[in-house]
Amino acid sequence: MTIRILGPNLINQIAAGEVVERPASAVKELVENSIDADARRIDIVVTDGGRVALSVADDGHGMDAGDLALAVQRHATSKLPGDDLENIHTLGFRGEALPSIGSVARLTVTSRTADADSAWKINVEGGAVSGPEPAAHPPGTRVEVRDLFYATPARLKFLKAPQTERNHVVDAVRRLAMAHPGIAFSLSEGERQILKLPPAQGDLLSARLDRLDAIMGNDFGANALPIEAAREGIKLTGHIGLPTLNRGNAQMQFLFVNGRPVRDKLLQGAVRAAYRDFLAHDRHPLLALFLEIPPQAVDVNSHPAKTEVRFRDPGLVRGLIVGALKHALAEAGHRASTTVGSAALGAMRPADMPRTGFLPRQPAGSGVPPSMAGNTALAGNTALAETAHGFHRPLDQADHGSHVTTPSAPEAAYQADDDGHYPLGAARAQLHETYIVAQTDEGIVIVDQHAAHERLVYEDMKKALAGGGIQRQALLIPEVVELDEAAAERILARTQELTELGLAVEAFGTGAVVVRETPALLGEIDAAGLIRDLADDLAEYDTTLSLESRLADVCSTMACHGSVRAGRRLNAPEMNALLRQMEATPHSGQCNHGRPTYVELRLADIERLFGRR
Amino acid sequence: MKITIERGQLLKVLTHVQSVVERRNTIPILSNVKFEAPDGQLSLNATDMDIEIVETVDADVAAPGSTTAPAHTMFDIVRKLPEGAQIELDCTGDDGQLTLTSGRSRFSLTCLPTEDFPVMADGDMPHSFSVSAGDLRTLIDRTRFAISTEETRYYLNGIYLHESERDGVAVLRAVATDGHRLASVELPLPDGAAGMPGVIVPRKTVAELRKLIDETESETGVQVALSDTKIRFTFDGAVLSSKLIDGTFPDYDRVIPAGNDKSMVVDCRTFADAVDRVSAISSEKSRAVKLAVSKGNLVLSANSPENDSATEELPIGYESSDIEIGFNSRYLLDITQQIDGESATFMMADAASPTLVQDPEDTSALYVLMPMRV
Repeated sequence: MTIRILGPNLINQIAAGEVVERPASAVKELVENSIDADARRIDIVVTDGGRVALSVADDGHGMDAGDLALAVQRHATSKLPGDDLENIHTLGFRGEALPSIGSVARLTVTSRTADADSAWKINVEGGAVSGPEPAAHPPGTRVEVRDLFYATPARLKFLKAPQTERNHVVDAVRRLAMAHPGIAFSLSEGERQILKLPPAQGDLLSARLDRLDAIMGNDFGANALPIEAAREGIKLTGHIGLPTLNRGNAQMQFLFVNGRPVRDKLLQGAVRAAYRDFLAHDRHPLLALFLEIPPQAVDVNSHPAKTEVRFRDPGLVRGLIVGALKHALAEAGHRASTTVGSAALGAMRPADMPRTGFLPRQPAGSGVPPSMAGNTALAGNTALAETAHGFHRPLDQADHGSHVTTPSAPEAAYQADDDGHYPLGAARAQLHETYIVAQTDEGIVIVDQHAAHERLVYEDMKKALAGGGIQRQALLIPEVVELDEAAAERILARTQELTELGLAVEAFGTGAVVVRETPALLGEIDAAGLIRDLADDLAEYDTTLSLESRLADVCSTMACHGSVRAGRRLNAPEMNALLRQMEATPHSGQCNHGRPTYVELRLADIERLFGRR
Repeated sequence: MKITIERGQLLKVLTHVQSVVERRNTIPILSNVKFEAPDGQLSLNATDMDIEIVETVDADVAAPGSTTAPAHTMFDIVRKLPEGAQIELDCTGDDGQLTLTSGRSRFSLTCLPTEDFPVMADGDMPHSFSVSAGDLRTLIDRTRFAISTEETRYYLNGIYLHESERDGVAVLRAVATDGHRLASVELPLPDGAAGMPGVIVPRKTVAELRKLIDETESETGVQVALSDTKIRFTFDGAVLSSKLIDGTFPDYDRVIPAGNDKSMVVDCRTFADAVDRVSAISSEKSRAVKLAVSKGNLVLSANSPENDSATEELPIGYESSDIEIGFNSRYLLDITQQIDGESATFMMADAASPTLVQDPEDTSALYVLMPMRV
């Protein structure tokens, strides 16, 4: 077999295999072109999930006839002005998209520049160019792709069902739309409008939040924390969801590097590290982070489809993300997601009262929460409230049954509280010896006493652990753990950090480490297993997560045993003390597994329940 | 099979055999105990496939035979019968049931065929020797607290029994360690034990063995027979056989410090009580206490993460330079509990090296303890 140079069309088809994997990647390339052309609105139409046809139309700069002819040539682009691959400010730069698509599909590009009086059109079918010829089109560019992969039947066979391909298109458009809130996007399939995103107004952060809200669901907007951090020329902005708003998978986690949606393991690791204390390990938060990084510090040219990037200093980026996320979560303090409150509200149904009227059931009066009488403003009618109060006064706890414990002096407690502002309000009652009901300025708060106290104890223990250092038990027979060389080096590079966490390791020849001391807190442990987990962690996420989470596990078990259980009756001062502690403790809005420790019902919501609004 | 037996006698053997039977089994017959009644005797047999116990008692046998019945149920029934009751076991009927009758109580239990009951092949046991029950108890009691519970290092999940020598005298030595502390105790080598392989006796076997020893006179001899893979203890009327842990016990000799020159002598009980008191402060999981040792004086102290603290001083015999060293208080208490004499000697080197603990009057046992970094 002699060696020969492949024909240009074959070369384009091979390149297309890398760039254009499925209709979604064609859409992504075309939309990126439109964004690079400063478009204000981009309309995408797909037929049959993009398998039959797809088109992307924009109102950007447009091209003249000469440019059009060049644009469909391989490695022709307007986007690398200085011929400098290190300094890339546009989404595209390889000059591959159009010829690649043209080599595997029937491509039509129609374009008109703003100052030209007519448009030009060019056709490419399986690599054969015809045109350009004059055409009618408003300023901007419209790219139509029909019969994608008709020229490469092998690829065609691997396309999935139209439904699946459409979902990929939607996902690609969403990601790009998130990064560019100022551009209007629309995506439709036939008559059906799948996405319609008007251009978001306002400054970048609020515009972006509007856009994220539109894409990630309304819950996100209400439960998002803004992120803003910068370090060594790298700027991180974006929004992250409260831990109580979580999902079973990590699909709603987005990272954008210089406006380019990327998928990166670094993000996963950083997110896991930042949310470790708040979420069970199989729950994932929602977030979108935007990294602005000097083009020189990131290599986007590592993959033709540009979905992966390489950072010059991944540690710095990771540190920035973890730091910013932890800071934002700490700031959020005891805030729990409002979704929880509204979900609870949705579950409430008007009571199924017997037709015979409001005859109080036994025990008398227990149908009306006693605390209602405590606040005259709430009752609206002073006289009625006083009457009600009169009914309640003689009733002691036994009369209420064992389910409701009223603080002995609610008025007094609330008066005292009026001096300061307490977000969690004043405790009014304990229900089922499990839930504390408190009255706040704007509504009521229901606290799960066990979850809340467990979190408080846990935070205390973590603080004590951090302050006092972790005690280390020396091993009588040091354990030698065989690893591969790279893993051993990763472990040894972190000895300082590991010692602080109670694990003392030393090098033991090449490819092995010897464990000399282990955290006393963990008792007798499988040191070899732990070291292997750590080596995997370091390789995957660059963190010592497995050790930290084992320590946290012990703490949380101890916290669980050391906290007030459900079923314990609390008196008013105890309940109020718990509320005040929750306000003072960071992260008290959720238990260790991401479940909320309290829910808030606003007065307006309650009024709505009763049809008053 | 049809026999009559006194409740106390049956209860005693059932107590032994039922504890070998696991609470939950995937093989149903392993939940059962096998009854075999040849002439004038009843023998009970239970196994978990790793340990087998066979115990024989006198019984009034009306019709010889054998059967198997649920061990825990049988134990529960017999335990609840009044003292001194006569129990009749009858499985002569053809309904596959064992009938237990005592006074006005009558129980009918489902049996499984005797042929299905697993038999542990004894194999050849080339080494055998006799050791007094009292000595065997010492070997177990002095070491079992240090047996590891960590399953990945399975070779530490038992007591290492082997032949060794000290000062030219051959000894039988038992060693156990969990990687944090080590206990070693030895006896003069019994006749016939010379040339025996070093074996690791599993934790569960140790526990069962200990129960059997409890009911045996100290002076009675226990026959020990062993091969590379199995060990058998023969008591009066009871035989306990067990598989051994297939692994290599670490070379423990290297971790027993020889050159520790800082010698502290404490009154054992006073020291243990003080440690116990001071450790009330330290956190529940790690239980660290600090020993500040100076000439003639020891200061024990403990701190909790919540900033509580405790100190206690006690007089000691100590002549070397001052040293501060931390230990897990639970480990200290475990060791001092093993020392019968009035005083205990701590041989220390520094705060990071192993410490040797011994009873100065009985040097057959020694304990090594790794310090804690506090």
